[in-house]
Amino acid sequence: MVKQQDAVFRQAYPTPPYWAARLDVATPPAPGAFVLADLGGPLREALFPAAIDADGFTVMLPPRHPVTRLLPGATVNLLGPLGQGFRLGGATRLLLVAEAACLPPLLPLLDAAPAVALVVEAPTRAQLPSPDRFPPTVELTLVTRDGSTGYLGPLESQEPAPANLQRVLPHLVELIAWAECACFACAPDRYAALAGIVRAARIQPAPDFAQALVQTAMPCGVGACEVCRISTRAGEKHACIEGPVFDMARTFA
Amino acid sequence: MIELAPRHKFGLPIAAPVMPAAGAFGYGDTYHDLVDLRVLGALVTNPVSLNPREAARGQRIAIHGEHFVAHTGLPNSGVQRVLRQYRQLWERLPIPVIVHLIATTPTETAQAAERLAGIPNVVGIELGLIDNITPQRALSLLDAARAEGDLPVIVRVPFHSVDALALRLAEGGADALTLTAPPRAILPVADAPGDDEGIHYLRGRLYGPALLSLLLNTLARWRGKLPVPVIACGGIASPQDAIACLELGATAVQVDALLWRDPTLLQRIAAGLAKFDLSAG
Repeated sequence: MVKQQDAVFRQAYPTPPYWAARLDVATPPAPGAFVLADLGGPLREALFPAAIDADGFTVMLPPRHPVTRLLPGATVNLLGPLGQGFRLGGATRLLLVAEAACLPPLLPLLDAAPAVALVVEAPTRAQLPSPDRFPPTVELTLVTRDGSTGYLGPLESQEPAPANLQRVLPHLVELIAWAECACFACAPDRYAALAGIVRAARIQPAPDFAQALVQTAMPCGVGACEVCRISTRAGEKHACIEGPVFDMARTFA
Repeated sequence: MIELAPRHKFGLPIAAPVMPAAGAFGYGDTYHDLVDLRVLGALVTNPVSLNPREAARGQRIAIHGEHFVAHTGLPNSGVQRVLRQYRQLWERLPIPVIVHLIATTPTETAQAAERLAGIPNVVGIELGLIDNITPQRALSLLDAARAEGDLPVIVRVPFHSVDALALRLAEGGADALTLTAPPRAILPVADAPGDDEGIHYLRGRLYGPALLSLLLNTLARWRGKLPVPVIACGGIASPQDAIACLELGATAVQVDALLWRDPTLLQRIAAGLAKFDLSAG
């Protein structure tokens, strides 16, 4: 059942390259699910939790996001929780793969399994989150598109790497073979290629083995506005109600 | 009851002068947790075409200040599949259903209208016209919609074509007019892919509270000059806005995409108009 609820904004603080904002609310969204917040603009904004507890949740947003300009104690009307979140099904080896800009919705999953591997890709070193932000138990792989640190991206590239650099794809394939569940948060137009990598690494992957979070504009959140339609192997789907987390190998061609 | 099609043999009576605009409320299955449908006069469905249409590619929303542009491509699964999916739901709804039909060609419009005839609880068609349509073309689409079914036909008039179309459509057989469709506009897209590649723009339909003043101007200019009921649409964001539309001659109001931010807007407007009716009576 879709409902409206009021949240109380507590504080916002920088956690480069994001800003974190804390909202107290009775029913926070699950990882991968979202709420639509009325922040005073003409449309509500989708907020995905980056950390969740019994009293509310924290979101991580770009600097200068309207949430960061709220005064502590301000009431924010929320629609939701909305959408289908991640379905881990008791996986003990969890792989998380994200572009740095899309990473925050995966952060609640960092302690969701006994063994977690995280792959983060950014255009360059300065846009990567600091490694010491992550729990030491997480196996962290950093990827940059310019090779300024870590492996050389992009994730799906099979091009030969220049001397002294190592492409990330072979390592990613190893991690996919290792994992019991893989959750991706990237630009939606990359999921077809990433789904191809998953299908190549795991013959006939089990349902929901690889899950893809689609972060796109979702103005209504209930499937009315048709703005969030995405193309899938089975026709168009609404990201807001049938997602935003989809079975990647079965959804994206 | 409020009569939206007094010249039609069956009429199109509605219990309340407020309804969602096409494209804002889905097909009746989306907002039932948040909106008490019984306060509405009718459900106006999302746009439906004879054949399936896919969503527009690329960015579909651009926001600037208090208003935004949306370009969805009017995706839908085609009239046949829409009916298969929703006809049972529509039959059970406590309010009548007006199907918004995307008028493409006269032949397709006639075929789509024919399929809507006799569907339980579908009481009317709202015809959506493309922008910059000629009066002759608009009249031929209207004729096509009327010829193949018994349903009253409301025409949603493109924003920039009211002067050219409104009177001709009203005299040409439209049972009511929706004034107006959202205007076309262009806005720069924030956070477009490849920020280094210059500014990207989105062309689409404009929504926002500023449209109300344009709507009121249109209503004022056409007040008393059209022989059919007028349904006001565009920028209505409060009961006071809706009352202003009725005072300027509208018979009913449609609430457009502004309800995405506040779905309870429909109920508040319905409550406000109920009081307005009482005080007027």
